[in-house]
Amino acid sequence: MNLMGLQGGQYCPLSPEQIKIVHEASLKILERTGIIYEQGLEDTVQMLEDNGAAIDRDRKNITFPRDMIIEQVAKAPEKVVLCGQDSKNDLHLTRNRVHLGTGGAAIKILDPETGDSRSTTLKDLYEVSRLVDKLDNIHFLVRPCIATDIDEADYDINMFYACLAASSKHVMAGVNDEKGLHNVVEMASMIAGGLDKLIKRPFISVITSFAISPLKLCTQSTHIMQEANRCRIPVALSSAPMAGSTSPLTMAGTLAQLHAEQLAGITICQLTQAGAPVLYGGIPGMANLKTMGYSGGAVECGMMNAAIHQLSNHIKVPNYNSSGLSDSKVPDAQSGYEKAFTALLASMGGSNYIHHSAGMLESMLTIAYEQYVIDDEIIGNCCKVLKGIDCDAEHLALEVIDSVGPGGNFMTAPHTMAHMRTEYYNGNGVTDRKSREKWEQEGSRDIRQRALDIAKKLLAGPKTLYIPEEIDRVIREKFNILLEIQ
Amino acid sequence: MTDFNEIKETLVNLDEQRLIQLVNDALEKGIPAGDILNKGLIAGMDIVGEKMENEDMFIPEVLMAARAMGKGVEILKPLLGEEETSARGSVIIGTVKGDLHDIGKNLVAMMIESAGLTAHNLGVDIAPEEFVRMIKEKNASILCLSALLTTTMPMMKQTIDAVVESGLRDQVKIMVGGAPVTQAFADEIGADAFASDAGSAAKTAKALVNQF
Repeated sequence: MNLMGLQGGQYCPLSPEQIKIVHEASLKILERTGIIYEQGLEDTVQMLEDNGAAIDRDRKNITFPRDMIIEQVAKAPEKVVLCGQDSKNDLHLTRNRVHLGTGGAAIKILDPETGDSRSTTLKDLYEVSRLVDKLDNIHFLVRPCIATDIDEADYDINMFYACLAASSKHVMAGVNDEKGLHNVVEMASMIAGGLDKLIKRPFISVITSFAISPLKLCTQSTHIMQEANRCRIPVALSSAPMAGSTSPLTMAGTLAQLHAEQLAGITICQLTQAGAPVLYGGIPGMANLKTMGYSGGAVECGMMNAAIHQLSNHIKVPNYNSSGLSDSKVPDAQSGYEKAFTALLASMGGSNYIHHSAGMLESMLTIAYEQYVIDDEIIGNCCKVLKGIDCDAEHLALEVIDSVGPGGNFMTAPHTMAHMRTEYYNGNGVTDRKSREKWEQEGSRDIRQRALDIAKKLLAGPKTLYIPEEIDRVIREKFNILLEIQ
Repeated sequence: MTDFNEIKETLVNLDEQRLIQLVNDALEKGIPAGDILNKGLIAGMDIVGEKMENEDMFIPEVLMAARAMGKGVEILKPLLGEEETSARGSVIIGTVKGDLHDIGKNLVAMMIESAGLTAHNLGVDIAPEEFVRMIKEKNASILCLSALLTTTMPMMKQTIDAVVESGLRDQVKIMVGGAPVTQAFADEIGADAFASDAGSAAKTAKALVNQF
């Protein structure tokens, strides 16, 4: 059952009137308060000034006339297609089309043998990516963890390599610098058969955290973002304020500030390269006011991420956001409901590219193999909700009701056979609906054990080499590839 | 032997048309009807029962398999010897008095039939004395009692007591089942066996018949 790219938009936390109010507030923030920058962005600032922005070079502050913003944002494509190495994994991001996948840069993993938390490795990155490749409801692969066992200088190329070698789903990740970007684009071009082919079918894209909330440009990430624009590589404009610390405590205030940051970012991209494929990357989050940590599992994260999609949809730019996180440390009831709530809300909001929705625990710090299997099930359920209830003649089944007649049963009706595998969500096998006897016979295993079994079974299968051998050889000659695939 | 494998596979794959074809082909080749039934159809249904027990198959699929099997048996019936038809164990099955639940019990009856036994399905809301009467009439070797309600579970005990009083207890093995029924409850009320689903019920019934 392919439940990718279904239509969301059933849940609208902001009314049409409220969308306009927030959008106007954001324009006002850019006009009055503006954004600040640091040394190293002189060229970008000059470009903005040449196109109508007002620059206060003493305070390093940029303010934007509203017409300038509206004009530039209108140049951003309304649809961005992020491809997979296999075209069946292509994602058509536009309007209210919903996709969910992995995310994050976790540094810890629950070891599948001991169950305890330990540092993530390059091998974990590869194996988790292989697992994601095999889980149907996870639609894309955002680099899920950091290979903490390799030198930082080797990060960019090796992390993209591990993901691309393990999965034919779309691969997205951040890069450390422009050189890293160029290397990654070069490697992907080798796989694609040329840069032009990669641009035509971009199976990689980059995340740039161009804004440091509140309202400040990050020099390095802005450089990477603009370079990606020039290379025509799709880029997600990540900015992630936390309500109460890096944005106002209130949800509306957080949305207004975040939308302003996005409008400024998209403006920079479109001035750098008109028509550049970008994803509106607002990720509204919440600070835990008792610790100042991140409260990823809060239900309001789901609400605000649905709302931020409404704002991106208002300016007709497809969006990248976050849901399906949990603050729990292990797969348990808390992680189950936090993930289900937030992922469903963001999905029903119509978000186009919801990352962080598979595999993560402890907000964004930890991943677990078994959690990917559980989250695959949660995502499948979310998508099923979006699919809705078919009400055509075949599904109304009047003929069948008449032929079975009062007092009969539908168990052997051909209609039952025809629809029983598609009408209801069948699951990946992790959900327990057995009798107690059967469950006890099988060892009274809880969801964590069942999920880990499924993960291990999937990973025990043969390794698909998505990078053809001859290309792989050339890549390994050119770059310092550290992953050994046995 | 290959023919039996094909018959079994075709049954598991729910291809009724092909199954009928294969049964006719086998008869034409001179394979005894009893072998086709036991080594082909019943053996195929054993696989279906196992898949059902493991929840690898949807119940509607199991029912389709049972129906296909029934079509095959219809062809074979006139050709089966006296011994082959009468040797089949006779099973009385019904839902106890006060309980109107039908579907699960029917499924058990169907699976018992598919296992090669003869099931006499009395229906629902069956009084203890009616069960006793039918055991005598059909010379049954197995009695299957069903209850879905916790409130009608005591009626299972009363039915077993009635069988004991009638003097027929040594003649029949008694099996109980239904959503709230457990092995512990079965032991407590003096039943001989419990099954948690239709697939294992058929398997258990077959095993009990073979004990006679």
